[in-house]
Amino acid sequence: MAPQLSWYLALSAVLFTIGVVGVMIKRNVISMFMCIELMLNAVNLTFVAFSSFFRDVTGQLFVFIVMTVAAAEAAVGLGIIIAIFRSRESLDVDDASTLKL
Amino acid sequence: MLGLLFILFAGMAVGCAISMVAQRNPLYSAISLIGVFISLACLYVTLAAPFIAAVQVIVYAGAIMVLVVFVIMLLNVEEEERGPMRLRSLVPIAVGLATVLFAETVFIIRFVATSPATPVANISDIGQTASIGAGLFTTYLLPFEVTSILLLMAVVGAITLARRGGLIAAKVAVVPGHASYARETLNPAAYPDLTEVNADNSREAAALLGVADGTPPRDHE
Repeated sequence: MAPQLSWYLALSAVLFTIGVVGVMIKRNVISMFMCIELMLNAVNLTFVAFSSFFRDVTGQLFVFIVMTVAAAEAAVGLGIIIAIFRSRESLDVDDASTLKL
Repeated sequence: MLGLLFILFAGMAVGCAISMVAQRNPLYSAISLIGVFISLACLYVTLAAPFIAAVQVIVYAGAIMVLVVFVIMLLNVEEEERGPMRLRSLVPIAVGLATVLFAETVFIIRFVATSPATPVANISDIGQTASIGAGLFTTYLLPFEVTSILLLMAVVGAITLARRGGLIAAKVAVVPGHASYARETLNPAAYPDLTEVNADNSREAAALLGVADGTPPRDHE
Protein backbone atom coordinates (compact mmCIF):
# COMPACT_ATOMS: atom_id res chain seq x y z
CA MET A 1 0.00 0.00 0.00
CA ALA A 2 1.42 3.32 -1.06
CA PRO A 3 1.66 5.97 1.65
CA GLN A 4 -0.95 8.68 1.46
CA LEU A 5 -0.38 12.38 1.92
CA SER A 6 -2.20 12.26 5.25
CA TRP A 7 0.37 9.76 6.59
CA TYR A 8 3.17 12.23 6.08
CA LEU A 9 1.11 15.05 7.56
CA ALA A 10 0.33 12.92 10.61
CA LEU A 11 4.00 12.08 11.09
CA SER A 12 4.88 15.74 10.73
CA ALA A 13 2.26 16.71 13.30
CA VAL A 14 3.57 14.12 15.73
CA LEU A 15 7.15 15.31 15.31
CA PHE A 16 6.12 18.94 15.69
CA THR A 17 4.15 18.15 18.84
CA ILE A 18 7.13 16.31 20.30
CA GLY A 19 9.24 19.38 19.55
CA VAL A 20 6.74 21.69 21.25
CA VAL A 21 6.60 19.43 24.29
CA GLY A 22 10.39 19.38 24.39
CA VAL A 23 10.62 23.18 24.32
CA MET A 24 8.12 23.31 27.17
CA ILE A 25 9.60 20.70 29.47
CA LYS A 26 13.32 21.13 28.77
CA ARG A 27 15.29 23.52 30.94
CA ASN A 28 18.63 23.31 29.20
CA VAL A 29 19.07 25.94 26.50
CA ILE A 30 20.81 23.58 24.12
CA SER A 31 18.10 20.94 24.46
CA MET A 32 15.44 23.57 23.75
CA PHE A 33 17.44 24.66 20.74
CA MET A 34 17.47 21.09 19.40
CA CYS A 35 13.71 20.82 19.94
CA ILE A 36 13.29 23.94 17.79
CA GLU A 37 15.35 22.22 15.10
CA LEU A 38 13.01 19.24 15.35
CA MET A 39 10.01 21.52 14.77
CA LEU A 40 11.68 23.05 11.72
CA ASN A 41 12.21 19.55 10.35
CA ALA A 42 8.59 18.60 10.92
CA VAL A 43 7.55 21.60 8.83
CA ASN A 44 10.08 20.64 6.17
CA LEU A 45 8.46 17.22 5.95
CA THR A 46 5.08 18.78 5.14
CA PHE A 47 6.72 20.97 2.50
CA VAL A 48 8.37 18.01 0.79
CA ALA A 49 5.23 15.85 1.06
CA PHE A 50 3.01 18.52 -0.52
CA SER A 51 5.65 19.22 -3.15
CA SER A 52 5.85 15.56 -4.09
CA PHE A 53 2.11 14.89 -4.08
CA PHE A 54 1.15 18.03 -5.99
CA ARG A 55 4.12 17.80 -8.39
CA ASP A 56 5.28 21.32 -7.66
CA VAL A 57 8.93 22.03 -6.93
CA THR A 58 8.18 25.19 -4.90
CA GLY A 59 7.86 23.29 -1.65
CA GLN A 60 11.34 21.86 -2.00
CA LEU A 61 12.76 25.30 -2.77
CA PHE A 62 11.31 26.56 0.46
CA VAL A 63 12.74 23.59 2.32
CA PHE A 64 16.10 24.74 0.99
CA ILE A 65 15.51 28.24 2.34
CA VAL A 66 14.27 26.89 5.68
CA MET A 67 17.50 24.92 5.98
CA THR A 68 19.49 28.09 5.36
CA VAL A 69 17.52 29.89 8.04
CA ALA A 70 18.14 26.95 10.37
CA ALA A 71 21.87 27.15 9.73
CA ALA A 72 21.87 30.89 10.45
CA GLU A 73 19.80 30.28 13.54
CA ALA A 74 22.26 27.63 14.70
CA ALA A 75 25.22 29.98 14.31
CA VAL A 76 23.63 32.94 16.07
CA GLY A 77 21.79 30.83 18.65
CA LEU A 78 24.89 28.95 19.69
CA GLY A 79 26.78 32.26 19.89
CA ILE A 80 24.11 33.55 22.26
CA ILE A 81 24.28 30.32 24.26
CA ILE A 82 28.04 30.69 24.64
CA ALA A 83 27.63 34.34 25.70
CA ILE A 84 24.99 33.36 28.29
CA PHE A 85 27.18 30.57 29.60
CA ARG A 86 30.12 32.95 30.00
CA SER A 87 28.17 35.47 31.98
CA ARG A 88 26.07 33.11 34.10
CA GLU A 89 28.07 29.85 34.22
CA SER A 90 24.83 27.99 33.64
CA LEU A 91 22.67 26.81 30.78
CA ASP A 92 19.44 26.64 32.76
CA VAL A 93 16.83 28.91 31.22
CA ASP A 94 15.50 29.73 34.68
CA ASP A 95 18.82 31.40 35.49
CA ALA A 96 18.60 33.62 32.43
CA SER A 97 15.47 35.45 33.51
CA THR A 98 16.80 38.92 32.70
CA LEU A 99 17.84 40.06 29.26
CA LYS A 100 20.86 42.08 30.41
CA LEU A 101 24.03 40.04 30.31
CA MET B 1 6.71 -1.63 -0.29
CA LEU B 2 6.73 2.14 0.07
CA GLY B 3 4.19 1.78 2.84
CA LEU B 4 6.50 -0.57 4.76
CA LEU B 5 9.39 1.83 4.28
CA PHE B 6 7.25 4.69 5.50
CA ILE B 7 6.25 2.79 8.62
CA LEU B 8 9.87 1.82 9.29
CA PHE B 9 11.32 5.31 8.92
CA ALA B 10 8.38 7.05 10.57
CA GLY B 11 8.77 4.73 13.53
CA MET B 12 12.49 5.48 13.65
CA ALA B 13 11.84 9.22 13.48
CA VAL B 14 9.20 9.23 16.21
CA GLY B 15 11.25 6.91 18.41
CA CYS B 16 14.37 9.05 18.07
CA ALA B 17 12.34 12.22 18.70
CA ILE B 18 10.81 10.81 21.89
CA SER B 19 14.25 9.61 22.96
CA MET B 20 15.60 13.11 22.32
CA VAL B 21 13.04 14.71 24.59
CA ALA B 22 13.36 11.99 27.24
CA GLN B 23 17.16 12.09 27.48
CA ARG B 24 18.57 14.34 30.15
CA ASN B 25 22.09 14.41 28.82
CA PRO B 26 22.21 16.95 25.95
CA LEU B 27 24.81 14.91 24.09
CA TYR B 28 22.50 11.88 23.91
CA SER B 29 19.71 14.23 22.85
CA ALA B 30 21.89 15.48 20.00
CA ILE B 31 22.66 11.96 18.82
CA SER B 32 18.96 11.07 18.91
CA LEU B 33 18.23 14.21 16.89
CA ILE B 34 20.73 13.05 14.27
CA GLY B 35 18.71 9.82 14.11
CA VAL B 36 15.58 11.86 13.43
CA PHE B 37 17.37 13.75 10.65
CA ILE B 38 18.60 10.56 9.00
CA SER B 39 15.12 9.01 9.16
CA LEU B 40 13.61 12.13 7.63
CA ALA B 41 16.21 12.02 4.85
CA CYS B 42 15.13 8.45 4.07
CA LEU B 43 11.50 9.62 3.99
CA TYR B 44 12.47 12.36 1.55
CA VAL B 45 13.93 9.70 -0.72
CA THR B 46 10.64 7.79 -0.62
CA LEU B 47 8.96 11.08 -1.57
CA ALA B 48 11.14 11.30 -4.69
CA ALA B 49 13.15 14.25 -3.39
CA PRO B 50 16.77 13.05 -3.54
CA PHE B 51 18.31 16.53 -3.54
CA ILE B 52 16.56 17.57 -0.35
CA ALA B 53 17.48 14.21 1.19
CA ALA B 54 21.16 14.78 0.43
CA VAL B 55 21.05 18.36 1.72
CA GLN B 56 19.28 17.14 4.84
CA VAL B 57 22.11 14.75 5.62
CA ILE B 58 24.89 17.16 4.69
CA VAL B 59 23.57 20.39 6.21
CA TYR B 60 21.47 19.21 9.12
CA ALA B 61 23.05 15.96 10.25
CA GLY B 62 26.47 17.17 9.16
CA ALA B 63 27.01 20.86 9.68
CA ILE B 64 24.39 21.99 12.18
CA MET B 65 24.58 19.00 14.49
CA VAL B 66 28.37 19.06 14.46
CA LEU B 67 28.12 22.67 15.59
CA VAL B 68 25.67 21.74 18.35
CA VAL B 69 27.78 18.81 19.54
CA PHE B 70 30.85 21.03 19.45
CA VAL B 71 29.18 23.59 21.68
CA ILE B 72 27.92 20.89 24.05
CA MET B 73 31.45 19.58 24.44
CA LEU B 74 32.95 23.08 24.63
CA LEU B 75 30.65 24.10 27.46
CA ASN B 76 31.01 20.72 29.17
CA VAL B 77 27.32 20.41 29.86
CA GLU B 78 26.38 17.93 32.55
CA GLU B 79 23.05 16.26 32.94
CA GLU B 80 20.24 18.48 34.00
CA GLU B 81 19.66 18.18 37.69
CA ARG B 82 16.07 17.69 38.62
CA GLY B 83 15.48 20.61 40.91
CA PRO B 84 12.21 22.05 42.13
CA MET B 85 10.17 23.03 39.12
CA ARG B 86 9.44 26.69 38.66
CA LEU B 87 6.38 28.06 36.89
CA ARG B 88 4.35 25.00 37.84
CA SER B 89 1.21 26.94 37.04
CA LEU B 90 2.06 26.69 33.34
CA VAL B 91 1.62 22.90 33.25
CA PRO B 92 -2.19 22.91 32.78
CA ILE B 93 -1.82 25.64 30.15
CA ALA B 94 0.71 23.47 28.33
CA VAL B 95 -1.63 20.49 28.42
CA GLY B 96 -4.48 22.65 27.12
CA LEU B 97 -2.41 24.06 24.28
CA ALA B 98 -1.19 20.59 23.34
CA THR B 99 -4.81 19.42 23.18
CA VAL B 100 -5.74 22.32 20.91
CA LEU B 101 -2.74 21.61 18.68
CA PHE B 102 -3.63 17.93 18.49
CA ALA B 103 -7.26 18.73 17.63
CA GLU B 104 -6.08 21.07 14.90
CA THR B 105 -3.85 18.45 13.36
CA VAL B 106 -6.60 15.83 13.49
CA PHE B 107 -8.90 18.27 11.72
CA ILE B 108 -6.34 19.03 9.03
CA ILE B 109 -5.50 15.39 8.47
CA ARG B 110 -9.18 14.44 8.15
CA PHE B 111 -9.65 17.34 5.75
CA VAL B 112 -6.71 16.23 3.63
CA ALA B 113 -7.71 12.57 3.72
CA THR B 114 -11.18 13.32 2.37
CA SER B 115 -9.94 15.61 -0.39
CA PRO B 116 -9.10 14.06 -3.77
CA ALA B 117 -5.52 12.84 -3.50
CA THR B 118 -2.98 13.11 -6.25
CA PRO B 119 -0.74 10.08 -6.58
CA VAL B 120 3.02 10.40 -6.38
CA ALA B 121 4.61 11.12 -9.72
CA ASN B 122 6.13 8.00 -11.19
CA ILE B 123 8.73 9.59 -13.40
CA SER B 124 9.17 13.29 -12.96
CA ASP B 125 11.97 15.78 -12.66
CA ILE B 126 10.43 17.31 -9.55
CA GLY B 127 12.99 17.00 -6.80
CA GLN B 128 15.96 16.57 -9.07
CA THR B 129 18.81 19.01 -8.60
CA ALA B 130 18.26 20.60 -12.01
CA SER B 131 14.63 21.54 -11.44
CA ILE B 132 15.41 22.89 -7.97
CA GLY B 133 18.27 24.96 -9.34
CA ALA B 134 16.11 26.27 -12.19
CA GLY B 135 13.41 27.36 -9.76
CA LEU B 136 15.90 28.85 -7.37
CA PHE B 137 17.59 31.02 -9.98
CA THR B 138 14.53 32.14 -11.95
CA THR B 139 11.25 32.44 -10.07
CA TYR B 140 12.70 32.57 -6.58
CA LEU B 141 15.85 34.56 -7.24
CA LEU B 142 14.94 37.32 -4.76
CA PRO B 143 14.40 34.96 -1.78
CA PHE B 144 17.65 33.26 -2.72
CA GLU B 145 19.59 36.54 -2.61
CA VAL B 146 17.88 37.61 0.62
CA THR B 147 18.98 34.27 2.07
CA SER B 148 22.59 35.09 1.24
CA ILE B 149 22.28 38.39 3.10
CA LEU B 150 20.78 36.49 6.02
CA LEU B 151 23.78 34.15 6.07
CA LEU B 152 26.17 37.12 6.03
CA MET B 153 24.32 38.66 8.97
CA ALA B 154 24.50 35.34 10.80
CA VAL B 155 28.25 35.16 10.30
CA VAL B 156 28.79 38.70 11.58
CA GLY B 157 26.39 38.17 14.47
CA ALA B 158 27.94 34.88 15.54
CA ILE B 159 31.45 36.38 15.56
CA THR B 160 30.27 39.45 17.48
CA LEU B 161 28.49 37.34 20.06
CA ALA B 162 31.09 34.68 20.56
CA ARG B 163 34.32 36.65 20.59
CA ARG B 164 35.77 37.49 23.92
CA GLY B 165 37.67 40.39 25.39
CA GLY B 166 39.07 43.42 23.67
CA LEU B 167 41.22 43.82 20.63
CA ILE B 168 44.26 42.16 22.15
CA ALA B 169 43.44 38.62 23.06
CA ALA B 170 46.28 37.37 25.22
CA LYS B 171 49.89 37.83 26.22
CA VAL B 172 49.72 41.40 27.35
CA ALA B 173 52.77 43.33 28.42
CA VAL B 174 52.46 46.34 30.68
CA VAL B 175 54.79 49.28 30.91
CA PRO B 176 54.25 50.83 34.33
CA GLY B 177 53.29 54.46 34.25
CA HIS B 178 52.53 54.39 30.58
CA ALA B 179 50.02 51.93 29.26
CA SER B 180 49.57 48.28 28.37
CA TYR B 181 50.57 46.84 25.02
CA ALA B 182 50.56 43.44 23.43
CA ARG B 183 53.76 41.56 24.00
CA GLU B 184 54.35 41.13 20.30
CA THR B 185 54.27 44.86 19.62
CA LEU B 186 56.96 45.81 22.10
CA ASN B 187 60.71 45.73 21.96
CA PRO B 188 61.64 44.56 25.49
CA ALA B 189 65.07 46.21 25.31
CA ALA B 190 63.52 49.63 24.86
CA TYR B 191 61.73 49.48 28.19
CA PRO B 192 64.00 48.59 31.10
CA ASP B 193 61.09 48.68 33.56
CA LEU B 194 58.95 46.35 31.52
CA THR B 195 56.64 44.19 33.60
CA GLU B 196 54.88 41.23 32.13
CA VAL B 197 51.56 40.05 33.45
CA ASN B 198 49.34 37.22 32.39
CA ALA B 199 45.93 38.50 31.44
CA ASP B 200 43.40 37.83 28.78
CA ASN B 201 43.23 41.40 27.60
CA SER B 202 44.92 44.69 28.13
CA ARG B 203 42.21 46.04 30.39
CA GLU B 204 42.66 43.18 32.83
CA ALA B 205 46.42 43.64 32.69
CA ALA B 206 46.12 47.37 33.38
CA ALA B 207 43.80 46.68 36.26
CA LEU B 208 46.28 44.21 37.73
CA LEU B 209 49.04 46.80 37.80
CA GLY B 210 46.93 49.88 38.34
CA VAL B 211 47.95 51.81 35.22
CA ALA B 212 46.03 53.44 32.42
CA ASP B 213 44.69 51.19 29.73
CA GLY B 214 46.41 51.77 26.41
CA THR B 215 43.60 50.46 24.24
CA PRO B 216 40.80 52.75 23.11
CA PRO B 217 37.60 52.26 25.08
CA ARG B 218 35.14 49.90 23.50
CA ASP B 219 31.70 51.21 22.81
CA HIS B 220 30.05 48.11 24.19
CA GLU B 221 30.84 45.49 26.73
